[in-house]
Amino acid sequence: MKLENKRNFCIIAHIDHGKSTLADRLIEMSGTVSKRDMQSQILDSMDLEREKGITIKLAPTRLIYEYNGKEYELNLIDTPGHVDFTYEVSRSLAACEGALLLVDASQGVEAQTLANTYLALDNNLEIIPIINKIDLPSARVDEVKKEIEEVIGLDAENCPCISAKEGLNIEDVFKAIIEQIPAPSGDENGKLKCLIFDSHYDNFKGAICLIRVFDGKVKKGDKILMMQTEKVFEVTEVGIFVPTTKECDILKAGDVGYVAGSIKTISDVKVGDTITNAENPISEPFPGYKEVQPVVFCGVFPVDGAKYGELKDALDKLKLNDASLQFSPENSTALGYGFRCGFLGLLHLEIITERLEREFNLDIITTAPSVSYNVYKTNGDCLEISNPSNLPPAVEIAKIEEPVVKVNIFTPPEYVGSIMELCQDKRGEYKNMVYLDKRRVELNYRLPLGEIIYDFFDSLKSRTHGYASFDYEFDGFENADLVRVDILLNGEKCDALSMIVHKDKAYSRGRELAERLKKIIPRQLFEVPIQACIGNKIIARETISAMRKDVLAKCYGGDITRKRKLLEKQKEGKKRMRKIGSVEIPSEAFMSILKLGDDER
Amino acid sequence: MVAVSELADKNALSIYIHIPFCERKCSYCAFVSFCLDNSEREKYINSLLDEIENFLTTKKVKTIYLGGGTPSLLTKDEIFAIFSKLREKFDIDETAEITIEVNPNSVDEEKLRAYKAVGINRISVGVQSLSNKTLKSIGRLHTKKEAIEKLKLIGKYFDNISADLILGLSGEKSVTSYAKKLIKLKVKHISSYMLEVHENTKLYFEVRDKKYRPLDEKGVTKSYDKLVKFLKKRRIVQYEVSNFALAGYESKHNLNYWNYGEYVGFGVSSHSFLRGRRIANADTLQGYYKRERKEEKITKDMEIEERIMLGLRCCLGVDISILKKIGYDIQKNENYRKFLKEGEIVEDGGKFYLLPKYYKFADYYILNLLP
Repeated sequence: MKLENKRNFCIIAHIDHGKSTLADRLIEMSGTVSKRDMQSQILDSMDLEREKGITIKLAPTRLIYEYNGKEYELNLIDTPGHVDFTYEVSRSLAACEGALLLVDASQGVEAQTLANTYLALDNNLEIIPIINKIDLPSARVDEVKKEIEEVIGLDAENCPCISAKEGLNIEDVFKAIIEQIPAPSGDENGKLKCLIFDSHYDNFKGAICLIRVFDGKVKKGDKILMMQTEKVFEVTEVGIFVPTTKECDILKAGDVGYVAGSIKTISDVKVGDTITNAENPISEPFPGYKEVQPVVFCGVFPVDGAKYGELKDALDKLKLNDASLQFSPENSTALGYGFRCGFLGLLHLEIITERLEREFNLDIITTAPSVSYNVYKTNGDCLEISNPSNLPPAVEIAKIEEPVVKVNIFTPPEYVGSIMELCQDKRGEYKNMVYLDKRRVELNYRLPLGEIIYDFFDSLKSRTHGYASFDYEFDGFENADLVRVDILLNGEKCDALSMIVHKDKAYSRGRELAERLKKIIPRQLFEVPIQACIGNKIIARETISAMRKDVLAKCYGGDITRKRKLLEKQKEGKKRMRKIGSVEIPSEAFMSILKLGDDER
Repeated sequence: MVAVSELADKNALSIYIHIPFCERKCSYCAFVSFCLDNSEREKYINSLLDEIENFLTTKKVKTIYLGGGTPSLLTKDEIFAIFSKLREKFDIDETAEITIEVNPNSVDEEKLRAYKAVGINRISVGVQSLSNKTLKSIGRLHTKKEAIEKLKLIGKYFDNISADLILGLSGEKSVTSYAKKLIKLKVKHISSYMLEVHENTKLYFEVRDKKYRPLDEKGVTKSYDKLVKFLKKRRIVQYEVSNFALAGYESKHNLNYWNYGEYVGFGVSSHSFLRGRRIANADTLQGYYKRERKEEKITKDMEIEERIMLGLRCCLGVDISILKKIGYDIQKNENYRKFLKEGEIVEDGGKFYLLPKYYKFADYYILNLLP
């Protein structure tokens, strides 16, 4: 097919604005998949994705659509909508010429709408606003059009107004794609230049690179070079997505597809890397490549210590498909052997831990998430510390730097006061506030990332009844007066409960954590003091009184089964307990650091 | 101490018969019982006789227990009917322990004579308390006076008398004065259960609505400790968490449950343990009449759990070699070694036992000794 009949595009939207539903509708209306095979939200192939209504792995698909008597090949690249995956989104956008900006007709412009628009503009994409969910009684199409024009600065006057769910006005979307998005340019006779925008792992084919070809062509038997990793592979297969993989003879400039080359580990396939022909390479790779760094860390331990090997296998398997997941062995006195895992964000963390439990049937304990601090020692060493228990003693520390982010919050005006209070409380630095229109205010703050991962999202949601949305981006490291608060149970330090906090908050956090643990930890045969301390200084103390008796079910009559079942239930509960010295604590306790502050709300 | 070897007899069988009749349901009761009219009673007794009739065994019966409900509501004729059926069908050991539960208000001299005549030799009396105020508050139909009179009467006919006392009832910080009185009335065995508030009982709603305030955990534990101490002085031995007896008067029927012996239950909601299977009769009359049953085959893993659960809370202990045979070498268990070292459990004659002073924490030890 000629280049002028091709279009490469993606859909960007705030979460829940209907991205996957629109993608499904486009696939269905182009006849790519028969209605019979249509499973709602085809592109979200993982159960978890369907359930959470989010896209995690990218899944491109080729649509064939006839318009004005001509056949067009439309390559849709679905993008993950969440802030955790901003880099992946930016690479997908770089593979396209245009983007559909989907906005919910009742919700209007949200934080991610804007964040994604900026990403698309950075990549010089043609952006087509589309107003979705016009069938809702609460739809306010004209106001949302105005918002798009005023807040984003895009002309929305004649934009498609659709209901993806009801299949309303979808042809307008096709029309806009074909008429407004430029056809790809590129020289198929030039040197090979492809962008990797995602990767999958296939048990038979090895790592598969999802690519956009910008110049040249690639086919089976070619030797290709990954310009960032400097590795060379022989292509064993090229193909396209329909949306399942389908082998083809050749991929040419303007195409979206995949290449496989017996690539054994996915770490050799870096999202954002450039593929060229090893025998006839280009000189400059595609700009914008970044090594993805995890920003949120937590310990992951098997509930049953004997399952350490299984946990390792499961993480290895997940990593096959997810190069951004990092992990290394960790040993905790409280939790035994496990792994310190690094994630792109809290959602990524949640997805991985849920997949470990569901897909691999593992019972795991996770510790409270932490960020990575730069710790400068008095002897000149600099350490990256993501595990609070590895923080050196205070006397050896010259200074600590914490990661800081720029936060954009979109909210109805009535919540501004409450949000400002929250940001203040989270050590935020006020930057700017803009009244976008009568219904919407944009707030800009600079906040320590450590405060964001510590219940910021939940607090924001509860303070604004879910009406505010937020997004953030990195803004470097900054000096901070941080200390480690340790927890002693019956005099023994529980490493998995240590936390790094700002000095001004150490007392209140220590006290709250001790109080919370008192509620979570069941009474033991003896009295258990819970102490929070900084170094050797005790800053808070609670006491769990001793259990007076522990003999519930009477063993009377012949109904032994009921008693055994009761016992088995207790046994299950006990499995989730960990021993610190002689004190048994339930696994939820390790996450309780995160829940601090809940009680006041 | 009862001869445990006798219980271990593979050819021994215990029989439980459930009599679900009540004049009125007590506020705390979660057992299956109903206030039935005469025709329904007849239907039930006939179904019960039919169930007994259709059970096949060659085993020797060592204990029989009529529980309820209120078995003392059975008429003389009903008692005779049940026992003639039992004697017709089963080989009942001459020395078998045969118990009936009675309530002070519904037992009388005529019934006691009938019990004697059919071979009943142990009476378990639902005394529960000796305070009129307390008895009334939980819906019991007898008074202190009636309880004492009936115990005296029972004493004329029977030697082996047991009495129940509930711990933790509102305002009853101590029950030792009741225990003292019971001993004086020649009671040989006391069962003393801590009050449990079961969902959907009358008591449950009263507690929820703050109309009834049972003792708190501290109070009930104190009253339990006092009772244990008092009975010990009187040489009434604690042979299970909630059961106390003069030597030789332990309940063989209950010991058989805890010793992993076989038993068959007749009647609505009764349970059987036969050939490694636990069988539960339906707990509604309709289901019972249709002979609806739930059956569960006990796996080795379940058996390990049950043996520890049952043996640890009583004087029987748990047989180490049996556990080993079914796949659990408990002597390798870290907690086991710790408890042994600290003197909380003891090993003796190939078994291990929890010391009675730790009975009130039995669930903790059981849980920590499971594989």
